[in-house]
Formats: sequence, structure tokens, C-alpha cells
Amino acid sequence: MNTDDLIDRLATDLRPVKPWRPGPKAAGWLTGAVLYVAVLALVMPGRGGTGGAGLSFWLPQLAALATGVLAGVAAFASAVPAYPKHVLVWPAVAALLWLTTLAAGAPWETRAIVAAQHEWRCVSFILAGGAPLVAASAAMLRGAAPLAPRVTAAFAALAVGALTNLGACLSLPHASHAVTLAWHGGAVLVLVAACAPAARFVLGPTRSSPGAARASTDRSTPSRPR
Amino acid sequence: MPERLSPSDDLGRLMHAAQQGDSAAYVELLRTITPRIRRIVRRQRGFAGAADVEDLVQDVLLSVHAVRATYDPTRPFVPWLLAIVRHRLADAARRYARAAGREVRIDEDDVTFAELATNEGSEAAGDAEALRAAVRALPQGQRQAIELLKLEGRSLREAAAICGTSEGALKVATHRALATLRRTLGTNRS
Repeated sequence: MNTDDLIDRLATDLRPVKPWRPGPKAAGWLTGAVLYVAVLALVMPGRGGTGGAGLSFWLPQLAALATGVLAGVAAFASAVPAYPKHVLVWPAVAALLWLTTLAAGAPWETRAIVAAQHEWRCVSFILAGGAPLVAASAAMLRGAAPLAPRVTAAFAALAVGALTNLGACLSLPHASHAVTLAWHGGAVLVLVAACAPAARFVLGPTRSSPGAARASTDRSTPSRPR
Repeated sequence: MPERLSPSDDLGRLMHAAQQGDSAAYVELLRTITPRIRRIVRRQRGFAGAADVEDLVQDVLLSVHAVRATYDPTRPFVPWLLAIVRHRLADAARRYARAAGREVRIDEDDVTFAELATNEGSEAAGDAEALRAAVRALPQGQRQAIELLKLEGRSLREAAAICGTSEGALKVATHRALATLRRTLGTNRS
């Protein structure tokens, strides 16, 4: 198809579009995610209390919350062309702080980590409980234009992992930071590693958006230079 | 128009109008940016042919159309457009690299054998009079075999019945006749 014809075709029956703003979208998703995790933590069986927990417990939780919020903002911001790159730095800093507060809190105890088989509940909380949040973020991000879908998906998965980790920690407080770091950190890594490659098919340019699909069908004839 | 929505440049204003469904503004915008996109694509993909360049330009236009909702009128339009162009060019480069990785380059094969003699036009008419003379010069049995089998197109059985010989003898006569003709005509030609 001639490029002029394509332009005319695209302009024909042009419909108004509602602007896709990353800020309100991220705020909406984060609000829903925090409420969902809170409900999930409350209904989790065998819930423990956090009454006597000190700063060493709350510091990693605050860092995890910051990581979740900033990673969620980064995921939605990166779904818009020409987004400011610094939005990707802040969640990385928060994640580093989160890991540091966990790692600095206790020495590495391999035997205790291996023995903590009850952590499978937390892992399932993070992975299975996080799946609906991943699906919701993917559905919302599909309306945008993630030009680097792996980056967008990785930050969305990091946000989900950090928030569900927070829910798991509040629901079942852990005595050892090393156990939390190994099991929860591992689960978050699995989530990120699973989501990033799949993003190409869900969010990437290979997926077919309704408009692009219609126009692509029209382009079945070879293009000719003007 | 509220200050918050004031586009920062003309292209941004056109895109903002297009987001609200203004087809004329959209056509003007796309016609304005198309030559710029084409220039960028040509500069980045100097080796690409005209059709490939145009395909990439159309890819960018389709992407702009598909994601036009993500343009924020309070921000400059050109960086938004350039980000799309840059990523579409990168996608195209990846597609090209993947396709090139799957291709196996092979040398062009000759249609027949390389030797000149084998490619001579055997269907060429040649010297018809020389052929007739060569056939006439054949011994009686060989000439009859050639005439019946090759010129009249009879079957081996029919020809054997007409000649009053066995089919095997006719085959031998034909073989010898062809060898004689080949020798005679080859000698004459050389």
C-alpha cells in the first residue's frame, strides 16, 4: 500500500482516544494491589502477630513497600514513549536498600534456611497470590506502548513481588532475616525471571492491538515508495 | 484550552487534536512527520532498498496510530515520536538479524553442466541436408531401422514385423545407425 493511502486510511473514521496517563494508572493499580495484599494477608491461615516487632523488622518492610510502589510507578511510566529514565533508578535504589536491611539484619544461616520448609507458604503467597496482580498490570499496560516490554514487565513483577512479600511478612513474621532473604528474595526473582521473557508476547510489538491488526491487514499488498 | 493541556509545539497541537478525533489534523500531522521519518530511516538504514525503507516508515506510522493515546500534550511531540522510531528501527534490525541467521547462502547452481559442449543446443535444427545424406548413406538394414523407428515413430514390434527381423536385431541395427550418424555428422561438423 502506498504511504499516502495508508495515512488516508488511518485518518478515516479516526475515533477520539482517552489519553493514557501513567500516573493515574499506576496510582489505581497500586491502590488495588495494596488492598488486595492486605485482604490476602488477613485471610491467610495461621497468621502471626507483629506486636512486639522492632525497628529491625519494620525497616525491611518499609523498604519493601517503597520498592513495590516505586517499581509500580516505573512499570507504568516505562510504558510510554520518551519516559524520563530516572523513574527506573528509584526502584532499583529501594530494592537495594531492602536487600541491605535484610542482609545486614542477620548472618547467613544455611542450615536454618534449608530447614525452613514452612516458607513454602510464603513462596506460594508471593507467586500464586501475585499472579492476579501480574495479570491486572498486564491488562492495564496493554493499553499503552511498552517499547521495551521486558523492562516494563520486570518492574511490574518486582512491584508485585515486593508487595506480596510485604503481605507474607506481615501475615507470618519471620525470626530470621536470612530465611526471609533466601526464600522471599528467591520467589521475587522467580517472578521477575518468569515475567520478563513472557512480556515480549504479551506487551511487545509482536502482539496485535486492534488498530494495528486492522491496519496490518490493509497492508497485505506490498508497499510502494512515493 | 486549559494551561495544563497546552501542547508545546505545532505537532503536539495537531496530535492533541487527533486524540480528540480531528481527522484533518491527523492527516496534516502524519503528512508532516512522514518525510522526517523517511529521512531518519534512510540515514539509519542506508543499505535498505526503497521498498524496505517505505515498509519501515509505514511500521512507524502504524505504531504512532496504535499508541497515540500515550502522547501527553503537555510534553514535546518530537521526543515521543523519535522514541517510537528508534524502537521500531531496533525491532526491524532484530528481525533482520534473526532472518539472516536462518538463511544459508549457497552458490548459484548451473542449470545444466558447466561444460560448453553439454550445453550446446541439441534441439537446434543443424544441417538438415547433411542429415538426409548421412541417412541415405547408411546400410540398408540400419537405414530402414532409423526410418521406421525414429522418423516414422513406429513401435519396436511394428518395425520388426515390417523388416521381418527380431526386435533384438532391430535394436542393434538402430544403435549402429545412430553411432554411424553421430560419427558422420560429427566429422562433417568438425
